Amino acid sequence: MLAVRGLAKRWPGGALLFDDLDLEVAPGEFVAIVGESGAGKSTLLNALAGLDRADSGSIVIAGTPVDALDEDALARWRRAHVGFVFQQFHLLPYLTVGENVALPLLLNGVPSAARAARAAQLLARMGLAGREDRKPGTLSGGEMQRVAIARAVAHKPRLVLADEPTGNLDEANAGEALALLRDAVKSEGAAGLLVTHSETAAAVADRVLRLAGRRLAPA
Amino acid sequence: MNVALAATLLSGSLAGNRWRSGLAVACIALGVALAGAVHTLHASALDEIDRAARTLGGEADLQARGPRNGFDDAAFVAVAKLPEVAAASPVVELDVVAVPPGSGGGRQSAEGRATVKLLGIDPFRAARLQPGFLTEASGERAEGSPSYLDTDIAFLTPAAAKRLGVGVNGSFALRGPRGEVKLRVGGLLPALEGGGPVVVVDIAHAQQAFDRLGLIHRIDVRLAAGVPRDRALAAIQAALPPGVRLERPDDGASRTAGLTRAYRVNLTALALMALFTGGFLVFSTLALAAARRRQEFALLRALGLTAGGLRGFLALEGALLGLAGAAAGTLLGLAASLAMLERFGPDLGAGFFSGSAGTFSPDLLALAAVGFAGIATAATAAFAVTRAFDRLDVAQALKDRHLDLPAAPGGWAAPAAAAALASLAAFVPAAGEIPVGGYLAIVLALGAAVLAVVPATRVLLSRARAEESPLLVLATAQVRSLPGHLAAMVSGIVVSVALTSAMAIMVFSFRVSLDGWLYGVLGADFFARASPNGDAVVFDEPLQSRLAQVPGAERIDPIRYDRLNLAGHSHPLTVMARPVTEKLLAGFQVDPPAIPPKGEAMNAWMSEAAADLFGWKAGDEIQLPFAGRPARLRIAGTYRDYARTWGAILVDLEDWRRHTGDRLANDVAIVADRSADAKALAKALARIVEKVPGAELHDAAYSHNRALEIFDRTFAATYALEAAAVLIALAGVTSSFAALAWSRRREFGVLRHLGLTRREVLRLLAFEGAAAGGVGVALGLAAGAAVSVVLVRVVNRQSFHWGMEIHWPWLALLALAGAVVLLCALGAAAAGRAAVAREAVDAVKDDA
Repeated sequence: MLAVRGLAKRWPGGALLFDDLDLEVAPGEFVAIVGESGAGKSTLLNALAGLDRADSGSIVIAGTPVDALDEDALARWRRAHVGFVFQQFHLLPYLTVGENVALPLLLNGVPSAARAARAAQLLARMGLAGREDRKPGTLSGGEMQRVAIARAVAHKPRLVLADEPTGNLDEANAGEALALLRDAVKSEGAAGLLVTHSETAAAVADRVLRLAGRRLAPA
Repeated sequence: MNVALAATLLSGSLAGNRWRSGLAVACIALGVALAGAVHTLHASALDEIDRAARTLGGEADLQARGPRNGFDDAAFVAVAKLPEVAAASPVVELDVVAVPPGSGGGRQSAEGRATVKLLGIDPFRAARLQPGFLTEASGERAEGSPSYLDTDIAFLTPAAAKRLGVGVNGSFALRGPRGEVKLRVGGLLPALEGGGPVVVVDIAHAQQAFDRLGLIHRIDVRLAAGVPRDRALAAIQAALPPGVRLERPDDGASRTAGLTRAYRVNLTALALMALFTGGFLVFSTLALAAARRRQEFALLRALGLTAGGLRGFLALEGALLGLAGAAAGTLLGLAASLAMLERFGPDLGAGFFSGSAGTFSPDLLALAAVGFAGIATAATAAFAVTRAFDRLDVAQALKDRHLDLPAAPGGWAAPAAAAALASLAAFVPAAGEIPVGGYLAIVLALGAAVLAVVPATRVLLSRARAEESPLLVLATAQVRSLPGHLAAMVSGIVVSVALTSAMAIMVFSFRVSLDGWLYGVLGADFFARASPNGDAVVFDEPLQSRLAQVPGAERIDPIRYDRLNLAGHSHPLTVMARPVTEKLLAGFQVDPPAIPPKGEAMNAWMSEAAADLFGWKAGDEIQLPFAGRPARLRIAGTYRDYARTWGAILVDLEDWRRHTGDRLANDVAIVADRSADAKALAKALARIVEKVPGAELHDAAYSHNRALEIFDRTFAATYALEAAAVLIALAGVTSSFAALAWSRRREFGVLRHLGLTRREVLRLLAFEGAAAGGVGVALGLAAGAAVSVVLVRVVNRQSFHWGMEIHWPWLALLALAGAVVLLCALGAAAAGRAAVAREAVDAVKDDA
């Protein structure tokens, strides 16, 4: 599903952030990348999503060479094939919970009835049945992250990227959110990539890699 | 809240909103400057008139003033003989036009000619009341000591010498009814410097040269010492013919002030509307700034700051913006009025002060009041924001990044109540000529429109079907979710679109009505005017006969005017005598349109203004002093008169001539024979008319177009003000969107993570701008229509006494609506550029 070869990225000053990275993630596989702050985990994640350009190397996702696309094509590709989970949840405050979950479907032109049905199905899976019409501001942190996870998989993406998704959650909520994220990724057949500095969080992954000394290696 | 905390918060707020704060200050400053300039120009004009009256009146206690065409000079002898009178001086007073070659360098009137006031005096009698009339008193004299007794000699005030471009011993010429009246400057009268541009000659010479034999316009009187004033007044009034009334020399200025009050108030109201729009911008600035700092305020409240402390801070911020705007606006208004006085004089387009130079005389009290209005506007706007923040849910605001203002639930009750009150206010009668109820109705109608923003948006968006378009779904959701923001942003658009559309409808209605009226009243093919400027030249009967005998002229209608000053009324009454026919009455839109049979009292038709100002009704019998003799008139109906603001009465020329014996004419309308060669007729008429110095001949099309040109020029300032109001409001919306877009940059980052391109995010903002603009335009147009009805039916009628029908400028309104929505969309997208310029990755991490 995801194939990265010889990826390198430099800091704006020229120093190497990481170099010659290789990474493969299969469909339904949930991989965690751990490392210290500043190691380049998030930068790697952004490069995989096409939000940041690597200096060299190639990224191929489901047969598409991501690094060959221009910015608009990348945006359209991301719209169809990538799901995101952020540390800060980033739910849109003016949309309801249901509309937030259905947002990727809306962007991909799915009719409203189908959107509503899919959002309801995912919210029920996240234990939030009946909350469709509430505004995000009325939810707890753990609930908001579950909504964000539902949003990340709503459009059945090929790749789900999660950047420190438990950073704002307590231990119980963090564990629950990670389990839901892994289950969602697996049940949707996506490739999941989690970056975190937490070894506990990484433990839920099928495979754990460490980004250190500019290289990626099994933890 | 202590001073240190207030200063810290204030510096943070103003530094974070430099551009918007500047815009709000500029907006307040604009309104204050406009109102200040109007007041200063007006005060300067009135000050000059007052000073001129005092200067020329000298030690006179009273002046006996007659109609514009003068009164019998025998009245002077009767007054002078009275034991109650210590000194009396007869005066001939005319506005005359200088012959161009002698007027080089002088100030030109609107028609391109220098006009001056000509006073004909009895020098020995006049000097007893005002020694300044004699050059021996203080003036510079020409060689050979010329005096008033020399018929070619005139004495000039320094202002007249400047206007005419002559000095002592210099020669100049004035237009008289029989040709040029050549004069030599015998000396200057510096003691009369404050009297304005005045040419003084001997009274006999003035009467003879300007065909006023046996007529005077004024008698200046000093009362004998020790005589009770009431007794003296009664004795003098008894000696005067009908139509001549006694007043104090300075009454002229207060009468002018009264006459121009409605005009001044309306211009000021227009300026205050700019201030009103500015108030909404201040509200929007403070509200959006406060919304951005919602969490910060919640934190301060959580740390122990009271709600009162927070209110005080916001009010202080508003007051400071108002103070800055008021100070800048006052200075700007003073500078603008000084520049306008030097360049154009104090006339603001309505002709009240045309020809007056005006001396810069700021009315400090009025300026302070206008400045205070600016501060009050800003403080009121701040108060509205503080009211909103009284409802701040501290706990919710602390954890919620939602950016809306804590707005009250917006229902229909408040706007409906405001609209109902506006309807009632429109029926409140005028106070003097000030349409207090009309203005109150306008403010309430605008308030209703602003209050309707939230509920109307809710209704509009609940009906919006945009389920399949991602950008529309997001845009409508965003607009729907921020009612407080929307109200703050859109209120400026609502108010400015309402005012602009209302003015457009009113001006269009006026123009269409004027156009139709001109077609009716012109009703002739050519018009000859004896004295387009001033009143010194008239057409005598032989000339009228020559015009009537020109081959191709089917008929001529001589028109004679006089202006009466009626006791107990501050407004003059114009008498218009011309042949009255059914066709003429139809042209003047007379109601009822029929000519009643002749009776003992002559038939008369009053203008709408005369009906309002003098309280007459159709069927009333009244008595007016025509040429010093009481005339009985029966009011046969009301006619429309856009040419005379202060009231006029129309009588048949034959009736006038029979009663007064006056066979002169100021204008002559010439109807061509259908078979006549128009060009040949025009040439033949022109050959006769050009023999009268300064007289003009124009065809009906010229007169029609000229009237419309003058109309358009008069309203040009209004158009400019309205355009400024719309631009300010658009700038407000753009800046609001800029602030909002900057606050939403994380959201835009998320959307770009989810696959929206930068262009799509900008398009999303454009949709939101268009949606906000659309709501503003819809409500603004609705309010504008209501306000235009108030302007046409109440304000115009009560202030200027003009009746008119409402005509809707559909194309202009459509263009306005389209332009505002488009500019809102473009402005919002442009404002969002900075917000989406950052990398999406940085944006989602941004904690601001």
